[in-house]
Amino acid sequence: MYETKYHKASSVADAVSLIGKSDDGKLLSGGQTLVPTMKARLAAPSDLVDVSGIADMHGVSISGSTVTIGAATTHANVAGNADLQAKCGGVACLAAGIGDPAVRHKGTIGGSIANNDPAADYPAAMLALDATIKTNAREIAAADFFVGMFETALEEDEVIVSISFDAPAKAAYAKFPNPASRYAMVGVFAAQTVDGARVAVTGAGDDGVYRQFDMEAALDTDWSPNALAGVQVGSEGLLSDMHGDATYRANLVKVMTRRAVAGCA
Amino acid sequence: MELSGEYRIAASKAEVWAALNDAEVLERCIPGCEELDKSSDTEMSAKVALKIGPVKARFNGNVTLENLDPPNAYSIVGEGQGGVAGFAKGGADVQLAEDGDETILTYQANAQVGGKIAQLGSRLIKSTSAKLADKFFANFRDALEPQEENTEG
Repeated sequence: MYETKYHKASSVADAVSLIGKSDDGKLLSGGQTLVPTMKARLAAPSDLVDVSGIADMHGVSISGSTVTIGAATTHANVAGNADLQAKCGGVACLAAGIGDPAVRHKGTIGGSIANNDPAADYPAAMLALDATIKTNAREIAAADFFVGMFETALEEDEVIVSISFDAPAKAAYAKFPNPASRYAMVGVFAAQTVDGARVAVTGAGDDGVYRQFDMEAALDTDWSPNALAGVQVGSEGLLSDMHGDATYRANLVKVMTRRAVAGCA
Repeated sequence: MELSGEYRIAASKAEVWAALNDAEVLERCIPGCEELDKSSDTEMSAKVALKIGPVKARFNGNVTLENLDPPNAYSIVGEGQGGVAGFAKGGADVQLAEDGDETILTYQANAQVGGKIAQLGSRLIKSTSAKLADKFFANFRDALEPQEENTEG
């Protein structure tokens, strides 16, 4: 790795100030993407501002139907939270299936959505649940937050503080993981929300997470895996790579949506 | 990998051709271009910073204009070294056709990357290349249609 200056932020305000003062700094949370990238010398930030020690950014809290997750909460702590398992098991299950144990004990929800990898798991849940992403400066709706592949609405020096959403009546996540990386070849988060059925797809779209509107319409009529039988998923705009072409992924979108709906508790 | 696209530009073919050969316009349109110095009418040296997710690499390279057929078509070819990150190479065949007061620009582009950047990003190279090519031509159209940009912005 190149030389870099490490700063441990004590508060959100401290992190914002440190990143603002740095020349070409990066926020560091769990470091499960950034650190390997630095080790491969594909990134060389002048400063790293570690937000993982900021107390306000940790933990899951539930108030009425609103679930709030601190941005620096690890996947393992989301997966293991008993209140969340009872309130919205779909999100806890999703967190339990990210990467491997090492990734789950270091990686955080804020880091995952800020990176917005087109095959990451969390963006699908955030989009399906209409989550609100709270930063040091503002609140951003998930639909506006995920701009495109690896692109978000975040400014360079903006820090995600927490994520909140209303617990849906039913929700489940189904993914077909790449056997090596555990990234989603296709992952589908299906939810029955107060605004109707939601189907958000990750891993498949060549511009990141998106909603499958025709499936949502079919599920609004009849919330069952069979309701999806007549919906055709086209391969246009889907990723093709060495692991699977767009047609293969289009079929997986359908299969994973059926599994998610069938798996809804 | 092959990519293609089509743009309708509200400018005459002569204006579009002139812009395609203008280093200043190209510098503004190449995504991440920090410097573009002209060494001859068809050769330029460039510094381009690429940022894809966590990856940030700076490429030093050359941009060459080939197969010139003014004012109808040319090929723009770029290649660069990104140090330990690897190398990137890409090009586009560009054709212009008149349509009334407007010009239709079509392109077929290709891109290759090698080294570490290819290793890490192999699953994303196609979408990234498509996005960069699209961005270049969209920037180019906007550069020739400043009025429309103003009303949109």
